[in-house]
Amino acid sequence: MGLKPKKLKEVFIMAHGHHKEGSILMYPEKPPFPLKEYHAHYDHIFEMMEELEAKGEILIHRITEEHQPVHVYTRTGRIKVIPTNKLWHHKSCGQCGNIPGYPASVFWFMNKFGLDYLNEPHQTSCTAWNYHGSGTSNPVALAAVWLRNMHQAWKTGYYPLIHCGTSFGSYKETREQLIMNKELRDAVKPILKKLGRLTEDGRIVIPQEVVHYSEWVHAMRYKIKELYEKEGKAKGIDVSNVRVAIHNACHTYKMIADDYPYDPEVFNGQRPAASTAVMQALGAQVVDYSTWYDCCGFGFRHILTEREFTRSFAIQRKLKVIYEEVKADVIITHDTGCTTTFEKNQWIGKAHGMFYPVAVMSDVMFAALACGAHPFKVVQLYWNCSAYEPLLEKMGITNWRELKKEWEDTVKYIAELEKAGKYDELMEFFKTYDLYEPYSRTSTGMPKASATAAMPLFKS
Amino acid sequence: MDGHIYGYNLPISEKTKSVPWEEKVRIIEEVKSDFRFKEYIFGCLNCGVCTASCPSNRFFDYSPREIVQRFLEEDVEVLYDMMHEYIWACSQCFTCWIRCPFVNNPGGLVAIMREVAVRNAFEATKDLLKPYGRVLLKVMTTGNQLSADMLQPDFFPDWGPKMADNMENLRAKRMAIPFDVGKSVKTAWEVSLETAIEMYTIWRETGIFEMLEKLDPNLYNVIMDIVEENEERYEEMYEEE
Repeated sequence: MGLKPKKLKEVFIMAHGHHKEGSILMYPEKPPFPLKEYHAHYDHIFEMMEELEAKGEILIHRITEEHQPVHVYTRTGRIKVIPTNKLWHHKSCGQCGNIPGYPASVFWFMNKFGLDYLNEPHQTSCTAWNYHGSGTSNPVALAAVWLRNMHQAWKTGYYPLIHCGTSFGSYKETREQLIMNKELRDAVKPILKKLGRLTEDGRIVIPQEVVHYSEWVHAMRYKIKELYEKEGKAKGIDVSNVRVAIHNACHTYKMIADDYPYDPEVFNGQRPAASTAVMQALGAQVVDYSTWYDCCGFGFRHILTEREFTRSFAIQRKLKVIYEEVKADVIITHDTGCTTTFEKNQWIGKAHGMFYPVAVMSDVMFAALACGAHPFKVVQLYWNCSAYEPLLEKMGITNWRELKKEWEDTVKYIAELEKAGKYDELMEFFKTYDLYEPYSRTSTGMPKASATAAMPLFKS
Repeated sequence: MDGHIYGYNLPISEKTKSVPWEEKVRIIEEVKSDFRFKEYIFGCLNCGVCTASCPSNRFFDYSPREIVQRFLEEDVEVLYDMMHEYIWACSQCFTCWIRCPFVNNPGGLVAIMREVAVRNAFEATKDLLKPYGRVLLKVMTTGNQLSADMLQPDFFPDWGPKMADNMENLRAKRMAIPFDVGKSVKTAWEVSLETAIEMYTIWRETGIFEMLEKLDPNLYNVIMDIVEENEERYEEMYEEE
């Protein structure tokens, strides 16, 4: 069993050999699995954050009881606190832009569990994809963008949940840089002041934990399992025969490697636990393969402008291996770029006799399907260029053709109404549309305008 | 001498040879003066674990071990030469970082080198990043790097026939997503205007617009037109209130 939700005060605190009541740096009494300590010095930043807060330089946006925290272990054995409620969704441009069923599945679970959250337009992306792709930014700009977003979350009273793996990795690194380097704090502070993004007493707001959605899924895996057993199985869905190959995203567990969940139940704590653990909880067959460690070939710049590298790497190092070595039914991911790379670069393999069809989707999309979410309205599989149909059949979602037709009819109807300029009818239709929110809930009311239009949504 | 006894097998380019020594030193010093440099390089056993696990090494003449070794040897000539094209092979996956027994971060060193190459308007950088302009335009003006309308089938024929199907009735499909996660076609989500204005301030204050101007003056002009137009819209909104 993984760690059950616990109150913070019940956790034994042992921060590098000394005890400090109320510290955000926590360890269990005994190491949860065999540990390699050679760069566990990362954990020290949590003590440094507390010191900087005591000096009045920063304010730690703390995870409290209202966030319904769940504790997980990191690679160093540290207890990482994962907030599961009252969350500020920091969306992913790659997911929202290209894999809309990815965040839709996250929101579907949030609604299913009756959780409180904020999904608002007062956020930019992390802009780190651009930095890793083009080098056209710098650490001060990246830090300012991050801290602006984090300040906005803090101001609303909701805790930031980072959807994108690159945002998560970049933010973890930026936080370490900020804590370790006064010169970076001094450079970014005047910019934040100009934006009105410091606290009233002039402090930088830094979250206690940088939290990725896959960590939220990991923390919620037993609740997801309950939902699967209650609602998914009632629909005839069964994932026990599904062979699942896990691809962990580089920017979640290789960037600031000491700050991502590991668990004794997942390869005895020797591999990242998120995604694998939820698949295990659902009872799917997690299959191991020899190139589990390799990246997907995304490359940031390469996926767009040097695609021969991306597709060669994806096909030869991952798809071929997963198809031939373990005959997986699906590759489970937990980031944007990996999902896109694997599902978009299969068809081209036919040109070289290297066609290895395998379904590709993120952990939360698979989990949503298992729990009975609509494969097209919610999980949005029509965007997916990989062969997902055999997987649906194997999961017991045998009515997928009817569900696809239902989705296509909905799209046609919306298109006709919009073409005829019948916006009122469109809004009426959406009122009856499952789980629809007509506009983002915002902390400051409706956005009056967006970066691309005078009016958001339909009339833009 | 052209090339080197081991490792970096590429001949030193004419471009590099023609640059005065002092300029090459200045560029490499700019890389080394970045505050991250000392956090990314600690020593090197020359074990090659980084290169053995590097995805780019499988398909390009690229080695993270070389990057680290050249910095430790202070090989200005080779390092400068690497800054033309060599560094752009890196996938930025950071497999090298997690695997290095010294916790060196060759991918991080590459990030600094790329940043310096852009800031100093290396010609090869300009050429390499030309096809990347669409992303730069999107991120600098909207704060989103991708949007649904960027996945034009014409640009991605290798992604197969399903791509073309996806783009049919795109706007209606986006509206039919039953959550507000991406109803916009031009952006991944609707970024509020006031948020975009804050982001423009960040770009101004941190010299990002200047980097862009050096990288691609035409793209810079297009971006600034949009930025100024949005700033005017915001001011009008503010005045109305």
